Amino acid sequence: MNATLARLDRILAMVPWLLANPGAHLDEVAERFETTAGEIAADLDILGYCGVPGYGGGDLIEATVVGDRVHVRMADFFRRPLPLGMREGVTLLLAGRTLLATPGLRDPASLRGAVERLERWLGVAEVAVDLGDADESLLGRLREAAEELRVVRLTYRSTGAERETERDVEAWAVLAAHGSWYLRGFCRAAGAPRDFRLDRIREASGTGQRGAPPPAGAMSTPPRYVPSDDDVEVLLDLDPRAVWLADAVPGAALRDERTLAFPARSMEWAARLVLSLAGDARVLEPASLAEHVRDLVRATRSQYDATGCDRP
Amino acid sequence: MSDRLERLINLVIALREARVPMTAEEIREKVAGYGQTDPSAFRRMFERDKADLRDLGVPLVTAPVDRWRDVEGYRIRPEDYDLPPIALEPAELAALAVAAQVTGLDGGRALRKLEVDAPEGGRPGTLPALAVSVDAPHRDALLAAQLEGRRVRFPYRPPGRPSAVRTLDPAGLVHRAGRWYVVGTDVDRMARRAFRLDRIEGDVVDVGVAADRSHRLEGPVGVTDVVPGTGESLEARVAASPTVSWLVARRARGHGTPTDDGRTSYTVSARDADDLLSWFLPLGPEAELLGPPGIRAQVAAALDRLEAAHR
Repeated sequence: MNATLARLDRILAMVPWLLANPGAHLDEVAERFETTAGEIAADLDILGYCGVPGYGGGDLIEATVVGDRVHVRMADFFRRPLPLGMREGVTLLLAGRTLLATPGLRDPASLRGAVERLERWLGVAEVAVDLGDADESLLGRLREAAEELRVVRLTYRSTGAERETERDVEAWAVLAAHGSWYLRGFCRAAGAPRDFRLDRIREASGTGQRGAPPPAGAMSTPPRYVPSDDDVEVLLDLDPRAVWLADAVPGAALRDERTLAFPARSMEWAARLVLSLAGDARVLEPASLAEHVRDLVRATRSQYDATGCDRP
Repeated sequence: MSDRLERLINLVIALREARVPMTAEEIREKVAGYGQTDPSAFRRMFERDKADLRDLGVPLVTAPVDRWRDVEGYRIRPEDYDLPPIALEPAELAALAVAAQVTGLDGGRALRKLEVDAPEGGRPGTLPALAVSVDAPHRDALLAAQLEGRRVRFPYRPPGRPSAVRTLDPAGLVHRAGRWYVVGTDVDRMARRAFRLDRIEGDVVDVGVAADRSHRLEGPVGVTDVVPGTGESLEARVAASPTVSWLVARRARGHGTPTDDGRTSYTVSARDADDLLSWFLPLGPEAELLGPPGIRAQVAAALDRLEAAHR
């Protein structure tokens, strides 16, 4: 949209609002329509030259600013904004439906009502949103902590080590990404921002302390795997049924139809990933990983020597 | 720039206020801003103005000037121009504004229109410390096609295969595990299919015909449309050692019960056996699948396959 049309678009939305809110403060109008007071004053100036053909007294719009208060008269034809376009309505509808899919949403009645009213105009959107399961009470507590910039003490089972650590985290926000929920915050143990998967947080308790607000842009990137020099390259031989792994593992690439290469920060994580594939993947490299998988499998398998016996 | 802006505003007002459609000639004579233009320069200006106004969503239509002469004119019907009274409560509008913020979706233009009916409010107070990023290419176009019942066409690249053009009657969208899918009837195959939005290569095109609602392949969309495997949902009993019992408890239904050997047993549910195995096996020796016997046998068989592969 070029500058003239963007400005026309703003004016067609702004005049109805000014008619409904006579005497609004110039600064409030500017803030609401995301521009400067100077721009709004210029818009009002132009409106003063517009009206019904004939353009005599009584035909033109009256737009005035008196003591920073905005008044528009003689513009009944602009009493309403333009209808919602399908695209813009859809965007809003989708935003609403997505937020409704958040576990443990506080006061969802208003949002549900808004979505229903929009759907009465646009049609019922067939949208299914699955943001991933989360412990509602944990999610709610962490979200509240983040809203109040509190420091929480986490007992966390890290993906790399399969063992638990305790750490104090300045909570920033709760995020949904790739089907999982995360707490993002400043980890005091690491001295850096970190993401913590909610399903690996065993316990979260208050510390009574408050942290600093997050720096600008801290929420703009989704949680992701950051490659490091210590990563070890893993090679797997995949059954065709497990080829989807190429899309699911960060940094993974298929060498050929069956061979998947990806960087792993920890052998423990890689071993558990191989276990989850139930035999559809075989470790080619490194040998230490193959060995670790074998040890884990043997230790697990011994429990099932009495196969078929359902213990009480 | 302000001359053109003025002219466009005056054109909207004139056409909206006209009792009968205005001919091009009348527009040139009466609407401020077109004066002193020769007919061909006027034509060019007016064509461009019309196109731009329609792009903004101004419902500018052509209609016969009267019923006796074969002359076309232009007008804007007030009932098409005016936003209908959607009548959102201020709290509802504020909730939508929060939703737009949290999801990072651009709802600004729509919200500013809707705010006209909520003079006292409509702005979010404090934002929740929550971020749910669900942006995806083609998403709005496909949802609009579902709502309007349109047939669409797009080039699609399945994993490991060349791209091919698909024709679809969209039934809805599914978001799962961070990805968007469009579900609908693949017209060439006459089968219900799901397509990942990030595998659509190129544009989604409206084919220009209505979706066929007579076939029975539609119906509510759900996560099951995009989840691989069609096995049956099941419940299983899992004994967990103290180190992992909280992990199992997260997925369990109800509280666990202590076992004789110091572990805790839980009942967990899963979409199907594959879903259960991919969650259960990474727990390793710290958990045991107690039953039912069929699933226990599948766990043992999976472990045998793993062992054979890593001998």
